[in-house]
Amino acid sequence: MKAILKGIDELIEKLSSWGLVFCVFGMLSISVLSIVLRWFSTSIHWSEPFVRHMVFMSTFLGGVLATGRGTHIGIDIIGKWLESKGKSDVSIWIQRVIALASFCTLVWLIVASKNFMVVELKYGKPVFWGIPSGYLVGIIPFGFGLIAYRFFWLFLGSFMGENILKEGH
Amino acid sequence: MEALAFLGVLLLAVVGTPLFIIMGLAALVAFGFSDVESSAVAVEIYRISSAPTLLTIPLFTFAGYMMAESGSPKRLLRLAEAALGWLPGGVAIVSLVICAFFTAFTGASGVTIIALGGLLYPILKNEGYSEKFSLGLITTSGSLGLLFPPSLPIILYGLVAKVDIDKLFLAGVIPGILLIVILSAWSVYNGQAGNVRKQFDMAELIAAFKGSFFEALLPVGVLVGIYGGFTTASEAAAFTAFYILIIECFVYKDLHLTKDIPRVILDSMSLVGGILLILCCALGLTNFLVDEEIPMQILEFMRKFLTNKYSFLLFLNIFLLIVGAMMDIFSAIIVVVPLITPIAEDFGVHPIHLAIIFLTNLEIGYITPPVGINLFISSFRFKKPVTELYRASFPYLILLLVALAIITYVPALSLWMTE
Repeated sequence: MKAILKGIDELIEKLSSWGLVFCVFGMLSISVLSIVLRWFSTSIHWSEPFVRHMVFMSTFLGGVLATGRGTHIGIDIIGKWLESKGKSDVSIWIQRVIALASFCTLVWLIVASKNFMVVELKYGKPVFWGIPSGYLVGIIPFGFGLIAYRFFWLFLGSFMGENILKEGH
Repeated sequence: MEALAFLGVLLLAVVGTPLFIIMGLAALVAFGFSDVESSAVAVEIYRISSAPTLLTIPLFTFAGYMMAESGSPKRLLRLAEAALGWLPGGVAIVSLVICAFFTAFTGASGVTIIALGGLLYPILKNEGYSEKFSLGLITTSGSLGLLFPPSLPIILYGLVAKVDIDKLFLAGVIPGILLIVILSAWSVYNGQAGNVRKQFDMAELIAAFKGSFFEALLPVGVLVGIYGGFTTASEAAAFTAFYILIIECFVYKDLHLTKDIPRVILDSMSLVGGILLILCCALGLTNFLVDEEIPMQILEFMRKFLTNKYSFLLFLNIFLLIVGAMMDIFSAIIVVVPLITPIAEDFGVHPIHLAIIFLTNLEIGYITPPVGINLFISSFRFKKPVTELYRASFPYLILLLVALAIITYVPALSLWMTE
């Protein structure tokens, strides 16, 4: 069971990493290409919304990596204080609470964004390549879903001998 | 019930729950209590995908990370040393200038101290500077260039406060130089005390310039591109990232396209993802606060105690120094800016001047005890107790506060280049 759950987490990490490399090269090459084409009085009309949605996707994929690395920005006043006092037992429990609270909040956000997606699928207009905005809104529940799984695994894994106190925690 | 929910969210925040979770949760709870559909939070999150300058954030950060990972710090350090090292306190001035340059590109994310600290610290010690001076200088320099284009905090501020980013880039130049000049004067004073002096060597300057030619051109290229009307800020970001990718992989060959670049992408994008997620989730909460007229209520309360613009600016500085010492710059911009801008406007503070005051305060917050982030990064990097860093950075903190007072009460410094 542990191997499967950990395997899924590692797969998410790997896919997100590939996705990010693709997105960054994609946004970079399309942006540069648009500028060069402009010199020849030509343009790619879909480039701007396409690149903006690539950045939007990268936001969530970057968040997936930050979750695994434990480098999300937070106001860690109590955590730092506990670390300086060497109370690692309390720190571990705090990290478990954080992982669980984050997972629950993300589930709530996934539900909220799914509702928005349903509305957009019904009334939204195509943004580029004829893709309706509803599908693009789908980036939100998809991205939050990946991050939620990682928090879920952080919480569960901490009871299965995985180290929850990572770099940023 | 509302107070209990608020306390719960606050508790989660102080134990270190990621700020984007806190923002998302607070927005969901706030909308829930106001009987607004929770999908409104998702609407706000999606709104960010329509921000025209969004592209600048990942691309400038990626560019900065590539430079930090390459041999660029060494080459530029050699150039700066050849150009300025002969001055009294020259090596310290070189450190200030080079750190400012790197911070402008890496966005004061701690990368400057990590990438340059190891290079600069032994050089400063070899030149006869005390350990305290050297540690304080590097710790302070880690956030020194964030008023210079194309710094990430400036872009984020423009995005959140809806102020023209091109104008903000210009507005930060003179205040940024002022900070460097004041700290340089302190370095000259210390340099004279230690009799640290080098001979100017024209041949070395030319060699160093040739060695770092493509990187030294970069700030000029970005500024000319944007202000010459050749590119927008987003296009400048794309060109900068592309240019650095080419020169570091194919000209200097410091980075390998398939072995190193993917790692740099992942490192930079995990930071960008963290910041933009906070921005996404905070949009719902800040809009809720603005809709509920919270800034106006704060304003009415403040009007009882603060009678004019100058007393407001004094209060603003104290408030922002506390914010800067408690929160990191990105979350502070996202959370505080929407609340403070309408109040400042009511007191007659120019939006661009406000931006520079805001960013200078937060820059100082990086070295303000007890939790200024540069103090911890330096403590980690140089394996020194953080209390030693408090003492080492204290003179610099005082000097930066003097500079802050000048920037706050002389608006022309920030506005002159934009008008």
